[in-house]
Amino acid sequence: MKTPLPNELDEILTRARPAEGAPPNILRVLHAIHDVCGYIDPRFIPAIAQSQGVTEADVAGVLSYYPSLNTQPAGRHRIQVCLGESCLANRCDRVVEAIQSKLGIDLGQTTSDGCFTLEPVSCVGNCAVSPSVRIDGELHGRVRASDVAGFLDRYR
Amino acid sequence: MSRVRLYLSNDTSSCAAGTERLAEAWRQRSGIELVRTSSRGAFYLEPMVERDSPEGRLAWCHVTADDLPRILAGDGGIPVSTIPFLSKQTRHTFVSFGMTEPLSLEAYQAQGGLAGLRKARQVSPSAIIEEIKTSRLRGRGGAAFPVWKKWDVAATTQADRKYVVANADEGDAGTYCDRMIMEGDPFRLIEGMLICARAIGAGAGYIYCRQEYPAATVCLRAAIRAAGEAGWLESGGQPFTIEVVSGAGSYVCGEETALLESLEGRRGVVRARPPHPAQSGLYGRPTIVSNVLTFATIPNILARGGAWHASLGTEGSRGTIALQLGGRVKQPGLLEIPFGLTLREVLDQFGLGMADGARLKAVQVGGPLGSLFTDAQLDIPICFDEFAKADAILGHGGIVVFDDQTDMLELSRHLMAFVADESCGKCVPCRIGSLRAREILETIQSGQATEADLSLLTELGDTMKATSLCALGSRAPYPVLSALQQFPVEFRSRVRS
Repeated sequence: MKTPLPNELDEILTRARPAEGAPPNILRVLHAIHDVCGYIDPRFIPAIAQSQGVTEADVAGVLSYYPSLNTQPAGRHRIQVCLGESCLANRCDRVVEAIQSKLGIDLGQTTSDGCFTLEPVSCVGNCAVSPSVRIDGELHGRVRASDVAGFLDRYR
Repeated sequence: MSRVRLYLSNDTSSCAAGTERLAEAWRQRSGIELVRTSSRGAFYLEPMVERDSPEGRLAWCHVTADDLPRILAGDGGIPVSTIPFLSKQTRHTFVSFGMTEPLSLEAYQAQGGLAGLRKARQVSPSAIIEEIKTSRLRGRGGAAFPVWKKWDVAATTQADRKYVVANADEGDAGTYCDRMIMEGDPFRLIEGMLICARAIGAGAGYIYCRQEYPAATVCLRAAIRAAGEAGWLESGGQPFTIEVVSGAGSYVCGEETALLESLEGRRGVVRARPPHPAQSGLYGRPTIVSNVLTFATIPNILARGGAWHASLGTEGSRGTIALQLGGRVKQPGLLEIPFGLTLREVLDQFGLGMADGARLKAVQVGGPLGSLFTDAQLDIPICFDEFAKADAILGHGGIVVFDDQTDMLELSRHLMAFVADESCGKCVPCRIGSLRAREILETIQSGQATEADLSLLTELGDTMKATSLCALGSRAPYPVLSALQQFPVEFRSRVRS
């Protein structure tokens, strides 16, 4: 059975097709799809492989390698808590606990209403005003556990 | 009445600390003009607002939106030149930080920008490399390899194409100076890459920027567009293209050969060396891969001469180092100083000691693979050779201070778990070793370990150090073994006798 492809995907794959004699670039295509869809449905792997002239295993290998390429849709709001050393030193564990207990989910999970996905991130380069929490595009610094409830309510 | 010009940093960390909120609150206010600049790096003072005065810039620190009348009245501002954290520094690469708008070509040139590139275009490629040799610049990404040697190899290797790649995968937790350069002074990076391109004869450049830095990516793309429109992007009479490529969350892609694999769109797996990238790098062509800070250091060297650069710092570590203070220190932020001050002097003079109520337990220098220092070990001079002698690394200049609340066993487990997650899997010592080491640490935490497990951890660490393919595996044991050595009670008290 052929996986139906949305028009957008067709377009991305056509645009990403390597020029005659040029090498393929799997990560670039995956980024392009991820930017549009927010995740990469593994059912797209055969079409991606074909467009790049590589094997399905090549595509699956790259897709599974990179931590920020999701293979399932995330919640409407993406919460990234930084677990870098400066954040650790400034007790980000308390912030993580506060978010977990407020939302009732663990790191790597999505709330049952599909509102929030909670992800760990190893450093966002905000070490001088840590601990850091990024919600969608917005980065918050010097976050205290007591700030968490107020933050999250703004996104509900 | 003329409007009062207020300067607010647009740096990611400044915004996270509150400058963005101030800008939003004041955007509609009449009588003021908001100018968004790069950051001074004195993040402990953010949100900070500056305005001009006859004595230079005045600063208001920890500002709230309600402070606007006070600032407009000129009430309470302190001259920026009197802030010790800033005035004690020796800024060359970061000289214009906090002063200029990052995407202003005029401001960049007014601050001396492009002087290095002009000089480079007046001399031969080999003379450029000679100047870098005189400067004794060593790479700032972590490996500290003499920059001129790489350039010389790439320049003398015959090939149909050559590449310049900026490593902007600043993954070491506790570091942020590359992010500041990309967001705050992107033309300096571009200028450094153009000088390198001329020296080795490259026609294309890439900036491999980690995905966790969205603002840097946007800023770089805008800067490249502006530089192209201004006609800067050419080398040896040919167009020189620069493309920003996003990473995808893999730490090991900061290792130069893994980075090249990732640039080619594959899994970011480390390549065995030799050949080194300068001989055979991107698509098998000679490629200079250098850290963002290294490229940003180049323009001044060309403009002011290699001898000027070599006159700064210590015997084996010439020039300045960008240190990034984080963790439980009172004054976290970026500082640029000549090599040679001790770690204690840096923490005391710039960090101003510990955050209120905190007591120092350990200091980690050089990111998650960096060794840990106790209070008794802080008198080490900050330079490559002294750190190498101490089995430590400066890495990319990150300094994270931990207080006495820190559980060293848990920190060790965290660091080893990070390596186990990030190992590319190519070599066994790293792939299996990091996993087994993490398991041993977890066994100790659960109270089920014996003395034999501690010996095994040490032995495993020694094997990883000696046999791993790249620094991820070979450096991973250092923080853990240094914790075990310096805080033995925290490990042994949880081991069954």
